[in-house]
Formats: sequence, C-alpha cells, structure tokens
Amino acid sequence: MAPVKKTKKSTESINNRLALVMKSGKYTLGYKTVLKTLRNSKSKLVIISNNCPPLRKSEIEYYAMLAKIGVHHFNGNNVDLGTACGKYFRVCCLSIIDPGDSDIIKSLPGDQ
Amino acid sequence: MVKFLKPNKAVIVLNGRYAGRKAVIVQVLEGGNRDRPYGHCLVAGLAKYPKKVIRKDSAKKTAKKSRVKAFLKVVNFTHLMPTRYTLDVDLKDVVTADALSTRDKKVAACKETKKRLEERFKTGKNRWFFTKLRF
Repeated sequence: MAPVKKTKKSTESINNRLALVMKSGKYTLGYKTVLKTLRNSKSKLVIISNNCPPLRKSEIEYYAMLAKIGVHHFNGNNVDLGTACGKYFRVCCLSIIDPGDSDIIKSLPGDQ
Repeated sequence: MVKFLKPNKAVIVLNGRYAGRKAVIVQVLEGGNRDRPYGHCLVAGLAKYPKKVIRKDSAKKTAKKSRVKAFLKVVNFTHLMPTRYTLDVDLKDVVTADALSTRDKKVAACKETKKRLEERFKTGKNRWFFTKLRF
C-alpha cells in the first residue's frame, strides 16, 4: 500500500511542477518541436506520456541520450499529460526549454 | 544539452533517393541561409556499399568488391537520424558548398570522397559505417 501512495504523491508534485512551468517558463508541446529542441540542445527536460508509440519513444530517448538531456516518463497517457499542462488537447511529448520558477529540472532527472 | 549534430557524426539519411543510407556530416549550417531558411548540413555518404569480401576471393575480386559509390548532399536536419557513431575522415577540403554548385565540380568532389572512403574501408576501421542498414 505504502509504495502506491508514494507514487500518487509524486505524480501530484510533478503535475504541480508542470503547472508552474506552464505559467512561468518556456516549453514546447509535440513530437516535431521536441525533436527540434533536442537537435539544437535548447531543451532541458523531455517528458513523454506512457502511451507514446514505442518507436517514437525510443527515438526521443536516443536523441536525448546523444544530447545528454533527461527524459521523464510521465505516469499517465497523452490525455492526462495534456490536462497536466492545462491544455484541452492531448500531448504525447513535451520539452521544457526554460523552467522558470519551477524546480522540475533539479528534482526529476534522478529517474530515467 | 550537448550539441551532437557536428562534423564527423555518422547519420542515416531518412528521406529522398538516399533514404536508408549512412552518411557522415561534413559541414553544419545551423541557422540556415537565405535559400534554405532551416538548419541543414552537407553530408557525404555511401550510395553503394562495398560488398562482402570473403577469404576465398582473389586479389582482383577483393578490389572489385571493395568499391564504393559516394554521394554528396545538402540535407535538412529533420531528414537525418543521428547515431552514436563518428567517422573521422577528412573531407572538409573536398566537400564544400561551392563543390555542389555545378555538375562537374560535384562529380570531381564525389570521386575524391569515393577514394577517401575506400581507403578508410580497406583499413578495416569504422566497420559499422560500411555495412548496409537492413530494413
């Protein structure tokens, strides 16, 4: 029971941190722009939803490996990630360029 | 946060006539220029890979099988798949934007890159680069 509770709490905090980034930082949503920011290394963190197609997921992870940028696998599908970003559409992957006031970069990439 | 689309990076071309071919980045034009307002680079790649050489082959056959056909192209970054491999062959003096301007300059540059790639293949290094990508 305890582990389940812990992950629930950390998803809460990820959502909070994401909301802060949406408000105060710079980000891009969507596969094409994520690759673009990875290529010119403007990205600081990449977040991928859990129902992202495996080929696309591997591709983004490979680019991030080359660019030494952290990737976070969001605990939810693209609908949830869109909601977490405060948008009314689905978001499969997003890239954070400038976290603003949020500490999402420091707290997250301990995990893969 | 590390730029990886740099000269000597091995990449795979994804679109166009050379789709699926391995190439090496020679020159990067990050911001693009007036005619190409997008990030692009000059690549030199293998149009025809060298064939598999076995021990039984005579010297004449080995020479024939080790031949390579090169191509030079200006490619948009979105049409490339970068890899973790690099190939340091010095092609900077041969492959220039100027070399791709007229047909005979391009042919001459292609011949020179073909020669350099063949010597690199014969040394047996960078074996990944000279094997065909199966898909």
